[in-house]
Amino acid sequence: MDPAGVFATSFARDQSLIRTRKQLICLILFMVLLAVLPLLVGPRLVAVATSALITVVVTVGLQICTGYGGQINLGQAAFMGSGAYATAVLASKFGFPFWAAIPLGGCAAAAFGFIFGLSAVRIKGFYLVLTTIAAQSLFHFLVLNLPQSWLGGSNGLSLEPAQLFGYVIDTDRSIYYLCLVFAVVMVAGAFGIARSRHGRDFVAVRDDDVASGMMGIDVVRTKAMAFLVGSFYAGIGGGLWAYYVRFVAVDQFTLFHSIWFVAMVIVGGIGSITGALIGVVVILSIRESFISLGPTFVQLVPWLGGDVVFATLNIFLGGVIAAFLIFEPRGLMHRWSIIKRSYRLWPFSY
Amino acid sequence: MSEFLNYTINGALIGLLYALIAMGFIVIYRASKVFNFAQGELVVFGGFVVWWMITSIGLPYWIGIPLAFVAAALFGFAIERIFFSRLVGESVFAMVMVTIGLLILLRGLILVLFGPQVRPFPIIFPLQPVIIGDILIPRSLFIGGMITIVVGLGLSWFFNRTRPGLRMTAVAEDHQVAVSMGISVKRSVAFAWILGSVLSTLGAIIFLSGKSVSFLASEIGLAALPVALLAGFESIAGVLLAGIIVGIIQGLVMAYVDPVIGGSVGNVFPFIIMLVILFIRPTGMFGWKMVERV
Repeated sequence: MDPAGVFATSFARDQSLIRTRKQLICLILFMVLLAVLPLLVGPRLVAVATSALITVVVTVGLQICTGYGGQINLGQAAFMGSGAYATAVLASKFGFPFWAAIPLGGCAAAAFGFIFGLSAVRIKGFYLVLTTIAAQSLFHFLVLNLPQSWLGGSNGLSLEPAQLFGYVIDTDRSIYYLCLVFAVVMVAGAFGIARSRHGRDFVAVRDDDVASGMMGIDVVRTKAMAFLVGSFYAGIGGGLWAYYVRFVAVDQFTLFHSIWFVAMVIVGGIGSITGALIGVVVILSIRESFISLGPTFVQLVPWLGGDVVFATLNIFLGGVIAAFLIFEPRGLMHRWSIIKRSYRLWPFSY
Repeated sequence: MSEFLNYTINGALIGLLYALIAMGFIVIYRASKVFNFAQGELVVFGGFVVWWMITSIGLPYWIGIPLAFVAAALFGFAIERIFFSRLVGESVFAMVMVTIGLLILLRGLILVLFGPQVRPFPIIFPLQPVIIGDILIPRSLFIGGMITIVVGLGLSWFFNRTRPGLRMTAVAEDHQVAVSMGISVKRSVAFAWILGSVLSTLGAIIFLSGKSVSFLASEIGLAALPVALLAGFESIAGVLLAGIIVGIIQGLVMAYVDPVIGGSVGNVFPFIIMLVILFIRPTGMFGWKMVERV
């Protein structure tokens, strides 16, 4: 709901994403902060921020597929991987520039995701989970068993840094900006999709596919579209990842990574683009602090051994997924909107 | 010819092992409508408990193994209390994701409790193989296969012919309907998890006897998925047949196709079977036909 005194007088105004002047100011300040971030913090944090931006792209795609479209997807890492491989092959073997290779990688991932999206036409629920898990293992099998000259097999693929007008994007900062541009465009696009006709179709099919079919929505097309869009986002994220690490290998895209993405969506809030962003930031910052504080902790309590960091990270991830689903299935974003609403209504209760 | 027969019979017995693991999935599904992705982790947990009782503490087999079953039952009950008693009637998404959270959580827990080391598992079944004519069969698989068939037929009778079993079947149909018929969903779910956990420990004993146990053994949970799917998630006796079919196919593919292609087709083949089933007939061979067409 809007704060007191804000009334939409036209349809365009009612649909607008930025509703008050203060929100606009906050958005601008946030964008400025993102733009100057690499100048303010050290290289380690810039690297973390870059991987966060890439994760944002992938997770927003998953949010569209799972959160809006209602299609459970545990193969997002495989789709990301197919995008990364497609980008790497196009860039290293065919000499495509990055601004062509990354979107084409996205299209390749979309095609791969679409194949598995077709199964969603016939089945749903945990059968769909099985299909996407099968996508994950099939991806591994294909990469490792296709001829080594195609995808590099178990050696992986490495690629040259991206170039734009002769400027080589190979420093931490320049890659951060590359990812920032892509992430902003993709997130803005996601907001657009979510409030467009397709977004409304997604939500209708998620809530009740039979009823939405009755209302004249093409359910089959909508489900396939959810997978198509979701895996396109994953592919773009994969392409950025390929240019960020400049090396693609199959163990960067496992089922475990897919589960991390789903955890981010659950924590942030299912069915909200902003929720996906919040989920990425919360989960990644906790994970990074685990990883950076872990060695110190192990030194303090040496009998636990070095594997305890990985193990506690697992316990944390599993616990977070279960706890959110049991206690707050709609995620942090839902909490936040409750707080915002009661603040705006105060001192009245409704 | 005897080589072919050898591969077939060994494949069938490995398939029966898969069937035993898959039975864990199916029992939990049949009594609670939860599809448990953490089955492999339950197997590893059971294996580690057996290892701990017998090798680490040094209990004799006849005390250690029953104690391990008791521990597994308690563990299954604890899982139900902590997670699933709060989720009665929730969406499929929530249920599936909680079991996936459980998978990750248990993996971490096993790492913390038992460490990442590879441990030698006690030799529960004698090592010398059973020899029939020219055919060599590992004894643990042979005895395990017999146990699997007995357990499978027994459970099938329990779920299809007895009153408590039919009550749980109602829970698998629909939580709300079951509650309104006066059936305790929570008790059914608790029983399902206890049974699933005990079956996983049994699977661990047969699978790991004389081998070594580490947290990586949980792969068998995913390998058993296609078997459960081929049988259909509701059929306990059907899983025996499905296990034999998948096992034989995998054994033959490993024996005759792998050397030609020189890859791990045998390992990925169950997943290909799984995809084919999902696309053609998601209910499997004996499942209830409840999948909605949309």
